[in-house]
Amino acid sequence: MNVTAALIRDTFREAFARRIFWGFFGCCTALLLFLMFIMRVDVVQGAIATVTIFGRNTPGTDVQQLVHQTQGVIAMILYFAGMALSVFASAGLVSAVFEPGRIELLLSKPVSRTHLLLGRYAGNVLVVAANIVYLVAGSWIVFGVKTGVWGSGFLISSLCTIFIFSVLLAVIVLAGVLWDSAAVAIMATFAIMIITPILAQKATLERLLSSEWSRDVMRVLYYVLPKTSDVSVIIWRLILNQPVGSWMPVWSTALFGAVVLALGLWRFERRSF
Amino acid sequence: MNETSRGFVILHRVPAYAIETEGLTKVFRGRFAGRELRAVDDVSLRVPAGSTYGLLGPNGAGKTTFVKMLLSCTHQTAGRAMVFGRDMREASARRPIGYLPENHRFPTYMTGRGMLDFYGALSGMETAARRKRIPELLNLVGLDERAHDLRLGKYSKGMLQRVGLAQALIHSPKLLVLDEPSDGVDPVGRKQIRDVLQNLEQQGVTIFLNSHLLAEVELFCREVAIIQKGKLALSGTVEELTSGSGYRVEALHVPEAVETGVRAHARSFVSNNGSLQLLYATREEANQAVDLLRAGGCELESLGRTKSTLEEVFMKTVGENNGDKQ
Repeated sequence: MNVTAALIRDTFREAFARRIFWGFFGCCTALLLFLMFIMRVDVVQGAIATVTIFGRNTPGTDVQQLVHQTQGVIAMILYFAGMALSVFASAGLVSAVFEPGRIELLLSKPVSRTHLLLGRYAGNVLVVAANIVYLVAGSWIVFGVKTGVWGSGFLISSLCTIFIFSVLLAVIVLAGVLWDSAAVAIMATFAIMIITPILAQKATLERLLSSEWSRDVMRVLYYVLPKTSDVSVIIWRLILNQPVGSWMPVWSTALFGAVVLALGLWRFERRSF
Repeated sequence: MNETSRGFVILHRVPAYAIETEGLTKVFRGRFAGRELRAVDDVSLRVPAGSTYGLLGPNGAGKTTFVKMLLSCTHQTAGRAMVFGRDMREASARRPIGYLPENHRFPTYMTGRGMLDFYGALSGMETAARRKRIPELLNLVGLDERAHDLRLGKYSKGMLQRVGLAQALIHSPKLLVLDEPSDGVDPVGRKQIRDVLQNLEQQGVTIFLNSHLLAEVELFCREVAIIQKGKLALSGTVEELTSGSGYRVEALHVPEAVETGVRAHARSFVSNNGSLQLLYATREEANQAVDLLRAGGCELESLGRTKSTLEEVFMKTVGENNGDKQ
């Protein structure tokens, strides 16, 4: 526990020093302040008469729908733009560990390689999770206090975002262990982030692809790779309090993350530095 | 020796060797074209517990790869490495080791205190023990109070070397593996580091030194090994390796007739301003020369065995292994 805590603390310290943490924190705070000031609530005789968000007047009866939609937009911004930024920032944090002169000292300590890498991985997930939770919980409180809408879907959506980030971080770890390069790790992860929404349109793709074998390849890729696009749909449904049809995108993505992380750990165990 | 609650006494065998390698080999294979490089080739070495041991060799001889295999940073192709009788591939076997790498890159965002705290935690130390030990150690290696909370990015090369040594000592290791410990340190700092190491030696800590500074190794180590082209070329105590095979006689005011006599069996001689230095291969020849000098009324200035320097031994070994006939 002592060792794990030290590894996590070290990742935070490095994130602070590289201004990654503060960069995220600043962006999240700015967004929260923006939300606080763009939303105006008019109360007449103890009941909400109108709510103004982005200058749009909404009758009190439609407030819940408007809040859910705004939360959905925030969640999607966080999910796609925040994720891209997080991947960009985290690649350096992972590959820094493999620098010659630093890795030898870490490996000389009485800690297993798996423990070392998992400690770094956990630290990195926590750095990003702290900011996601700060933004989501902060905006949830702002919306709740101002409108009285306290749905839990928005909070749960933050867990989905953290989950997808942890899967993408496993790709960064594997690429980092294989190639020692933050740039290659970013490219590999971005490739997945770009390809998977395309694969999510599998009905359209099946019509476009002419041969059966190419359709089979597309189907295999769809089921093997993480389903970032499908998970975003699940997040949207959670926020709008709509039922989630299938959780397959979540568990298959989790399986992909677990396999990729296990491959990264296996390669790290076997590698000579 | 521990006593159990039932009154039985369990004797723990203390391993005689701090480091023991058997046929340790590392072959690097190119990804393409199947090229092979035997960086370390069948090296068997025993470093007695409590000794000061120097590992020497020219650049590219395989010293660093050997040290990295000892610490399990590099996986061996064949053979095995043990520290205090335990296989180095077990993580807990590395607990008694303190290590200072040569081209270290300590995280620049850490302070001296923070760095020791981090590596102390990784070495299995409790928080309270770390808090107590860190300021003591930083002072011991000669870093003043102001440096304790200064970021490592602002440290000079010598300061980094000192904090690196403190890092290696944080958990009171039984074996210290040092790669060029005084690299970049000024002469005063070197003396300070040597004093720290001598103090540790007296406490029974085994010190394994990998250094290019032959004079430093000769001054500090009791035993050395020379690695050349990945193979163990020579090992032994410094005293054995540097003890020469000849005898040196120095006399003053030697008349020409006597000088001719004593020079007859000398391996070499130097005559300078009335002083004559002679070198003999055997004790008998040296004794005969002394008798002649005494009989000739000369004054004996000194008499003793010749001694090689470690540098001479090193150059000879490396030269021989390169195929040079000197």
